[in-house]
Amino acid sequence: MPLLGVFNDLLFGLGVALTPVNMTIVIVGLILGTAIGVLPGLGGTNGVALLLPLTFTLQPTSAIILLASVYWGAIFGGAITSILFNIPGEPWSVATTFDGHPLAKQGKPGVALTAAFTSSFIGALVAIILFTFFAPPLAELALRFGPPENFAVLFLAFATFAGLGGGSPTKTILMTLLGLLLSTVGFDIITGQPRMNFGLVSLQSGVNFIVIAIGLFGLGEIFLTVEEGLRLEGIRARLGFRDVWETWKLFPRYTATIIRSTILGFWVGVLPGTGATPASFMSYGLAKQFSKHPERFGQGEVEGVIAPETAAHAAGIGALLPMVTLGIPGSPTAAVMLAGFFIWGLNPGPLLFQTQRDFVWGLIGSMYIANVIGVIMVLTLVPVFAAINRIPFGILAPLIVIMSSIGAYATNNQILDLWFMLGSGVAGYLFKKLGYPLAPLVVALVLGDMTEQALRQSLIMGQGSLAIFVTRPITAGFLAAGLFLFLLPALRALRRRGRAPRPAESEA
Amino acid sequence: MRRAETLMALALVVGAGVLLREALRLSVRWTSAGPGAGFFPFWLTLGVVACAVLVWLQSLRAPATPEGAAPFIPAGAWKSLLAVFLPMVAILAAISYLGIYLGGAVYLAGYMWLVGRHRWQLIVAVSALVPLTLFFIFERWFLLPLPMGVILEYFLYGR
Repeated sequence: MPLLGVFNDLLFGLGVALTPVNMTIVIVGLILGTAIGVLPGLGGTNGVALLLPLTFTLQPTSAIILLASVYWGAIFGGAITSILFNIPGEPWSVATTFDGHPLAKQGKPGVALTAAFTSSFIGALVAIILFTFFAPPLAELALRFGPPENFAVLFLAFATFAGLGGGSPTKTILMTLLGLLLSTVGFDIITGQPRMNFGLVSLQSGVNFIVIAIGLFGLGEIFLTVEEGLRLEGIRARLGFRDVWETWKLFPRYTATIIRSTILGFWVGVLPGTGATPASFMSYGLAKQFSKHPERFGQGEVEGVIAPETAAHAAGIGALLPMVTLGIPGSPTAAVMLAGFFIWGLNPGPLLFQTQRDFVWGLIGSMYIANVIGVIMVLTLVPVFAAINRIPFGILAPLIVIMSSIGAYATNNQILDLWFMLGSGVAGYLFKKLGYPLAPLVVALVLGDMTEQALRQSLIMGQGSLAIFVTRPITAGFLAAGLFLFLLPALRALRRRGRAPRPAESEA
Repeated sequence: MRRAETLMALALVVGAGVLLREALRLSVRWTSAGPGAGFFPFWLTLGVVACAVLVWLQSLRAPATPEGAAPFIPAGAWKSLLAVFLPMVAILAAISYLGIYLGGAVYLAGYMWLVGRHRWQLIVAVSALVPLTLFFIFERWFLLPLPMGVILEYFLYGR
């Protein structure tokens, strides 16, 4: 019976997504998203943040459909720049350059592009189906969560960064704490007293998350690109019907890779905090390990394009699952969308499934439609999108700066926020150069209030005793998993020390 | 590079220290309503300090590499970095006069001229069309008022 309910809800959601207004929004979102994905220096997280102010005037359902479609477009678009220009358009398409660009250089850009888009599509579609059936029971379960369970889930989210994020775990933990710390500026959520604002009225509304995200991801990225001196030299590509057909005929032999990458990607995406980027790297690494010809990877192996692209798109979908059901973003981009929920007047969390049926199911329905339209669009319009990269950087850089300023201003109508944006842009540039990851800071900043509330309420429930975190089974389970993830880098280091030094072992 | 690591760790410790002082003005202990308002920020600042010290120690222990000895910002990059950054500061400082539209136009034109070295026809076209498009999107269609600046307000609305 509950299964029938899901089908009913899904049909209802498709109906919401198929209204002319929402269809237009899907197409506009996909075009904008693909353009954002194609442009290096303008990422999905920042792109979604820039469009957020424009959604204030829309219905919440249309607003989330727009932002989600931008996200899907950006995931499709990142591959175009990776394959044709050997520069990742997005962080999640770094792994696609490894084999995608060699393929393009061998005169087979059509094969690489078709493989990337098709596997993205398959990964997305399977992930959406998983999403459709996992989301309602998860929301149901989450409805029974109390503060200790919520805190444990949040703890797991932060632990995922430290354990699976790559890079220095110390720096990751530091950035998480810093994000939580910044979220305490303004008001105390429980007692309502102003705090951490140095007596300044302008800080009483707190540190604006969107402003920080635009600064860190938008301006920071521009500074980095300017420093490296961007030179784009691409391979021209046109996708003929034959290219597409020839590539599709190759697909059945990669069934195992596609299934593995989809499940891995979806799972990594669902884990709070990690999104498409780690998923794509892990999937590439696994495909290489499982392959009979690992030496062909990096030389233009089609499987090396399929694996990361399938996982990236599955992870992008998966990242929205905890966002919709628990109110916890699965990736930095989802974190920006979640910030939108509050602005649209929605309270993220499991209750959404009961109170905002058209919002939740409209979003799910739009995922099916957006990905079908998206794959057709990129397959047919590759030359158009690739041409975007011919816009000279001398025009693009100031354009992104102006768009970022508008986005940062419009969330709060405060000129002071523009200075905060500039400041976090410089900070983002410095952090990135020194290997401090930005994603944990941004996600922690969004989740800060929720984390503090869950922790303090749990402590009140336990009358100051930490025992409450151990005696409740779900809480204890999540906390144990979180602790394991926190210790994972240390365990790995120990194992590596035990063996003979083998450099670059877990790179790939 | 190594000096930059040390400086960043130091900056983080100082920043956390400042926030620690703010947190200590609140109650960080158990109150009648559970943990006080300063409880969460207090422990977070301590955590940030601990991590920053750890990062610093790790950077000292790291083996010397050519990258570690290289300057943090490559010598040739300073000029292009400042070319993006300084005009932004200047325009932001004058934003109450210029607003986002005029300020954006000036920024676009200046950058295209000085850094991009484009032809003047293109500069004029782009720096006129972009702010105009943005004006229609935000001011007219989405009704999101952005800062106009004194100059534009005077000409448009006679204020």
